[in-house]
Amino acid sequence: MKTSPFRAVFNRPSTAMEKYLLAIIIGYIVIVALKNPLFFSVETLFDMLRSGSGVMILAIGVLIVLVSGGIDVSFTAIAVVSGYTSVKLMLALGIDNILFAFVVSIVVGCLLGAINALIIYRFNLPTLIVTLGTASAYHGLMATVLGTKSFPTAAMPQSLVNFGSTDLIVINSDTGRYGLTVFLPIVIAVLVLTWFILYRTMLGRQVFAVGSNEESASRLGINIFRTKLFVYAYSGALSGLMGIIYFSELKYVNPVSLVGTELMIIAAVVIGGAKLTGGEGTILGTILGIVVVQLFQSTLVFLGLGSSWNDLFFGAVLLISLGVMYYRQRIQDRKNLVFATA
Amino acid sequence: MNSIARLVARDKNLSVLVVMTAVTLIVLITLLGGRFLSAGNLQSMSSQVSEFGFLALAMGLAMLTAGIDLSIVSAAVLSGIVGATVMSGQLVPVTASNSNTLMLVGILAALVTGMLCGLLNGLLIAKISIPPILATLGTMILFTGIGMVITNGQSVPIAISSYSALGAATVANIPIIFILMVAAFLVVGFMLRRTRFGRRIYLFGENDVALRFSGVRNDRVIILTYVTIGLLVGLAAVIMVSRVNSARVGFGESYLLQAILVVVLAGFNPYGGRGRVVSVALGLILLQSLQSAFTILQFNPYVKNLIWGSMLLLVMVVNYYVARWNPRGAAPATGPGTTTAIPPESAPSAAAETHRAADAVTTGGRAL
Repeated sequence: MKTSPFRAVFNRPSTAMEKYLLAIIIGYIVIVALKNPLFFSVETLFDMLRSGSGVMILAIGVLIVLVSGGIDVSFTAIAVVSGYTSVKLMLALGIDNILFAFVVSIVVGCLLGAINALIIYRFNLPTLIVTLGTASAYHGLMATVLGTKSFPTAAMPQSLVNFGSTDLIVINSDTGRYGLTVFLPIVIAVLVLTWFILYRTMLGRQVFAVGSNEESASRLGINIFRTKLFVYAYSGALSGLMGIIYFSELKYVNPVSLVGTELMIIAAVVIGGAKLTGGEGTILGTILGIVVVQLFQSTLVFLGLGSSWNDLFFGAVLLISLGVMYYRQRIQDRKNLVFATA
Repeated sequence: MNSIARLVARDKNLSVLVVMTAVTLIVLITLLGGRFLSAGNLQSMSSQVSEFGFLALAMGLAMLTAGIDLSIVSAAVLSGIVGATVMSGQLVPVTASNSNTLMLVGILAALVTGMLCGLLNGLLIAKISIPPILATLGTMILFTGIGMVITNGQSVPIAISSYSALGAATVANIPIIFILMVAAFLVVGFMLRRTRFGRRIYLFGENDVALRFSGVRNDRVIILTYVTIGLLVGLAAVIMVSRVNSARVGFGESYLLQAILVVVLAGFNPYGGRGRVVSVALGLILLQSLQSAFTILQFNPYVKNLIWGSMLLLVMVVNYYVARWNPRGAAPATGPGTTTAIPPESAPSAAAETHRAADAVTTGGRAL
C-alpha cells in the first residue's frame, strides 16, 4: 500500500492548512534566498530558533486553549507576571538557581491560569472578555504590588544570564560567534509533551471533545470543569516557563514588555489551522504558523523592505490565510446546507 | 411599589447600571468635591468622552451582531492619518483661500477611509465567513500596517490652524464635539429602535440563521452594519486628530479595552441581540467620571489598568447574577425587556444540528 511520506512520518493525513503553509514557507525561503544569499545560512537559522523559542512555547499554550473552544489573551501578561515574580523572589531570597526560577515561574503561571479557568467556568463567561480583564488585572496587580522596576543585566540573577547565553553547538564564523541555543531542547520537550497529552491520553481527547461541543461532551460524562482547569492551568504553566526564557534571552528584565504581542501569536496559531470554534488544531500546524510569522517578522529586511512594511505584510498574509481557510469551510458548509457560519 | 418593581424588571441591566452610576457619582463628588464639579473638569471630561464615545458606540453595534470589532482603533488611526495627510499640505499646499475647503476635504477623506475600513470588515465577515474576531484582528494589523507605511512611523502635522480651533470650540461652554456625540447617539439609538435595519441588527445577533430563512439578506445587514461602524470610527478619528492636531500610529491604544469594558458594562450580550444605546451612554458617564477621578488623584497607568481589568471582570460577574435576579419574587422573569442569562458557549442552534461532517454538532462562529 502506497503511503505518502507525510503519512509515514506522522501517521495521519496532512491538513489543508499544513500543505498550504509548507508551500508558502518553502516558496518564501527560496525567493528570499535568491534575492539575498545571506539569508540562507546557519546563522540565520540559529537566530530564528533563538528568538522563536519563547513564542513557540506560548503558541502551544494558545493552541490548547483554542482546541478547547476558548481564546486566551492573558498569556503574555501571565508570562511577564510569573517571570517577574520569580526574579523578584530570587533577588529577595538570594537564591540564584535557574531551576528555582523555572519552578516558581511555572507554579505562579499555573495558579494564574487556574484563576482564569475558575472565573470562566463558574460564571460561564465568554473567554475572550474574561481573559482580557484578567490580563489587565494581573499585570496591574503585579505593577502595583511588585513595582515596575526593570533589571539590567548587571542586576539580574546571574543564573538567568548564564542560562540565556548557554549554547549547545557553537559556530565560529567570520561574522561572529553563533550558538544553537539551549532553549531548543526545552521547546522540543514541550512540543513532545503536548503532543503526547493531546493525542495519546484521554485528557487530550476530552479537550478536543469539549472544544467541539461542550454540551455533548458533558453528556458523555466528561468533567468540563476539570478539563477547562487543565487547559488554562497548562497554558499558564507554559506561559510561566516562557517568562523565564524570555528574560534569559533578553538578558534584561523589563516587566512592561511582551504584553501587546498576544494577538500576533494568536494570529500565528490560527494561521496554523486551529479553528476558533474549537475542536480542531494540530501541533505541526502551529509550528508552521509560528515559522511563517517569525519568517515574516524578522526577515523582511532581507528582501529590502523596511520595518514599516512588517505589519501590512503580516496583516495581508493573515487575512489571506484566514480567507482561504474559512472560505473553503463556507463552501463545504453550503454544500451540506449548514448556514450557521454567518 | 409594584410599578417600580415592574420598571426595574423591564431592563434589569439598565437599572443596575443607573444605580452604579449614581452611587459612583455621589462617592466621587463627596470625595473630590469642587475639583470634580468644576467647570474646567466638566469641560475636559466632555471633550475626552466625545472621541471615545464614538468608538464605544461602534463596538456596541458590533456586539449587537454577535461579533466584536478589534480594528476600531486602528481604523480610527488610519482615517486620522489619511485626513491629516490631506490637511498637512503635503499633497496640496495650504493657502489662505483653500484652507477651509481643504479642511472639509480632509474630514471627508477621514470619514470615507473609516467607511472603507468598515466595508472591508463587512465583506470579510459576510462574504468569506471569517469569524468577526479573526477578521477584525487581521484588519487591525492591516490598518496599522497601512498607516505605518504611509507615515513611516512619523506623525503627520496639520497645517490648518482653524481645525484644532474647531475641536476646541464651545457653545454655551459645552464643547461642540460633545454635542456632536450626543447627536450621534440619538441618531443611532433611533435607528436601532425604529427602523427596519435596526430591528434586523438585533434579530441577526439573536439568531442569524433564522433571520436568513426569514428572507432577509444577511450579507447586506452585516456589511451595512460594519460600514456604519466605519463611519462612527471615522468621526472618532476626526475628533481625535483635532484634539492633538496631528496623527500618528499607535495613538489611542488603550481605547480598545475600554470600549469593550463600556459595552459589557452597558449590559450588551457578547453573543449578540441585547443592548441599548442609553446603556452605553450611562456606561460612558460612569467610565469617564472614573477616568477623570483617576487623573485628579494621579493614579499611575498600571493602577488604572488594574482597575479597568478588575472592573471588567466584576461587571460581568454582576451581570451574571443580575440576569438571575428576579425583583418580582416567585415567578421567573419573562418579557421582552429582560436580559437573558449569557448562554453557555455551545448552545446548539437549530440549523447547525443538521449537517456538519464528522465529529460533532457545533454552533458555527459564535466563539468568544
